[in-house]
Amino acid sequence: MPTVTEQTDQAQDHTSHALLPFLQSQSQTALTRLYQRPSSCLSIFRLLGAVERQIVMNLLWLESSIPTSTMASWVTRDGKTFFDDAIATLTRLHIMPNPIAKLGLSPAFKTGMRHAVTGGGTSVSFGVPAELDEKRPAPTVEALDAHALERWETILHYMVSSGTGQAPARPSQGVLYLLDRSGLMKPNHGSQLQITSSGFQFLLHTPHAQLWELLLQYLQMVEERQMDLVEVLSFLFMLSTMELGRDYSTESLSVTQKAMLEDLRDYGLIWQRKASSRRFSPTRLATTLTSSLPPLPTATGASAGTGQAQGFIILETNYRLYAYTDNPLQTAVLNLFVTVKSRFPNLVVGSITRDSVRKALANGITADQIISYLTTYAHPQMRKNKPLLPVTVQDQIRLWELERNRVKSQDGYLYTEFASHADYEYVLNYAKQLDVVLWENATKRCFFGTVGGHANIRGFIERRTGGQAGTGR
Amino acid sequence: MDKASHLSLILDISPSQWHLSASPSNAFPLSFKTFLSHVLTFLNSHIAAMHENSLAVFGALPGKSVMLYSSTDTAEGADVVAADPNAYRPFKLVDSLVMRNIQRELELLGDPEEEAPIALVGALTKALCYINRITHIPTGAATEDPAVLIDPRILILSVSPDLSSSYIPVMNSIFSAQKYKITIDVCKVFGADTVFLQQAAHLTGGSYIYLERRDALLQYLIMSFLPPPAMRQVIAVPKQDKVDFRAACFCHKDIVDIAFVCSVCLSIFCSPVPVCSTCRTKFPIKTLQRLNASRPSLPPSANGTPRPGARQNTPLATSLR
Repeated sequence: MPTVTEQTDQAQDHTSHALLPFLQSQSQTALTRLYQRPSSCLSIFRLLGAVERQIVMNLLWLESSIPTSTMASWVTRDGKTFFDDAIATLTRLHIMPNPIAKLGLSPAFKTGMRHAVTGGGTSVSFGVPAELDEKRPAPTVEALDAHALERWETILHYMVSSGTGQAPARPSQGVLYLLDRSGLMKPNHGSQLQITSSGFQFLLHTPHAQLWELLLQYLQMVEERQMDLVEVLSFLFMLSTMELGRDYSTESLSVTQKAMLEDLRDYGLIWQRKASSRRFSPTRLATTLTSSLPPLPTATGASAGTGQAQGFIILETNYRLYAYTDNPLQTAVLNLFVTVKSRFPNLVVGSITRDSVRKALANGITADQIISYLTTYAHPQMRKNKPLLPVTVQDQIRLWELERNRVKSQDGYLYTEFASHADYEYVLNYAKQLDVVLWENATKRCFFGTVGGHANIRGFIERRTGGQAGTGR
Repeated sequence: MDKASHLSLILDISPSQWHLSASPSNAFPLSFKTFLSHVLTFLNSHIAAMHENSLAVFGALPGKSVMLYSSTDTAEGADVVAADPNAYRPFKLVDSLVMRNIQRELELLGDPEEEAPIALVGALTKALCYINRITHIPTGAATEDPAVLIDPRILILSVSPDLSSSYIPVMNSIFSAQKYKITIDVCKVFGADTVFLQQAAHLTGGSYIYLERRDALLQYLIMSFLPPPAMRQVIAVPKQDKVDFRAACFCHKDIVDIAFVCSVCLSIFCSPVPVCSTCRTKFPIKTLQRLNASRPSLPPSANGTPRPGARQNTPLATSLR
């Protein structure tokens, strides 16, 4: 399950971007082809960590490789681990070959990146702007934002309200297929898609993470659909370097990339007047792909264009929650773990209760995800508090989660009806040596062993008593 | 560690100094044109590092300072720059606007008989004001969000010698920078070390580098000045090992090794004075006589010649009373 592993990776390491592991799994030839386009080099460069970026920049204008020790002398003692990690990452991405003795950039990446920084070359990798057309001017930034927001919220809203009996607008077939493939939704009886526990977790992520999760899934499907991965990736990277509110021509795109236009239109990454149009405009979703602090275009920032602050949740120590929002999607997401008491045109009042949290936990959402969601979307007024969320509420949510983990089940065998106490002691000692005892009771002369230890214990008892001692489940 | 940073670059555009710098008698002649191409590449590298990185470029010209570029208001020149499918648009925008504005300013400068002193202080204060403006966005509550706060720094590329009359304004700028946690980096591209800028870098935790191999300007810039202050905990950026702490006296604006300091307001004088010119404190005649008698016999050092032995331990040597 690729989605699951990616999520854990993200949780462990916030600095590393979700796309990097995917890129690292690609072959060297594919990556080298990718690096031939300056826009791809620039975008990948931006996805790297700060130390990696500095190393790349240090090496960019050097003609020959330099000894690793020389570069290492630029690193403080505390930064040694960062530096070693950075070198390892760069090598895995084939940005840097053979790092053992000498450091240097691979020729393809070096040329591509140099062209990106100085603006040379003839690769046409930053998108060909469309001819100015007086009759059909490029859409305004507001229009693009609205388009992106509408598409993205349609997807999320469809997910959140599946199974609740409501029937929101359905996203296109391609999106539904992607949701199914990614394991975020699963068809239950019939063709109706039902949100899964990873889908619930997905809803609580930041829009940026959500977008990349879907795009990664899209990239996984590329091979099945006989598309060229390098073309797909370089198109995504090209989009990320384009300028918001500008028209680009489709003429320089390859066949694969033209086919992608339709998919990306469904996700809200690009805007086209009509499907056959020869021009397209990237939306904010696309142009912020490689930035880490996205100027939110989507669901979360009530409406991106108006400059409204993105936080809207106020949480009090008495577990009451006030959410200043009129957005049905945000309300629906809150409904996952909040008991909503009353709704007003611009305000939702509810409280976090044991039942509401347990409902969320049963859906597969973790306490940490609830807390991080509340933190991310905390109202600016809340940001004055230190710590941001009331500690009591945070602790209680975690305790409710622990409550579910009170009983732990383990398979095993119960050994009873020993003939004598000496017998019991003897077998128990043997089992203890193997470290397979889970529970013991001397007065009842029984103990419980793990599944793994059963064969040994059984053999031991049989050897000793000639198969007379009783063993039971 | 991984957050946006702001860079304010101050270019020292002194025609006479650049003329000297380009003359082939130097070990590594560096013309203004080559210098600019290196600097623009450096600026592009700064923007390349992060989508959110912001940039402002100021020019210190003879007698005037101007803002050449800022990433917050680019609308003015956006239409002038033609779209180019081979270049990332923000890079193209910086390059063209900076070049255009420098050209315009140099034309405005004309051909005066005598060059006015470089308005470095003007550029420095403009940079400080600009940073103050972008870090305190007047939207109210949102400013307290730590994610929005940027990591500001100023990089000065200096070619002109110290202007001793600007000691007080430079020091005041340094104090403002300290207050707002702005790092000041200095790269001395041409000419002798400047005492004031060394102090500026030292006091704000920045780095001062005297460019030795001037043909490798870009590499120097990238390795030493590209890492934002937050990252310098990992990447060791060279700091100057010896700082010239000498101050300029308030009476003649000379740089002095040993001076007399007003016990009330800490003003610096090269010779004992009966009344402090800053705070009007009167000093007793007796003290003046004693001080005059104890004055060191060696004459005050010539303007700007560093004396490595004396400067380390004697920042401000004597005090009154």
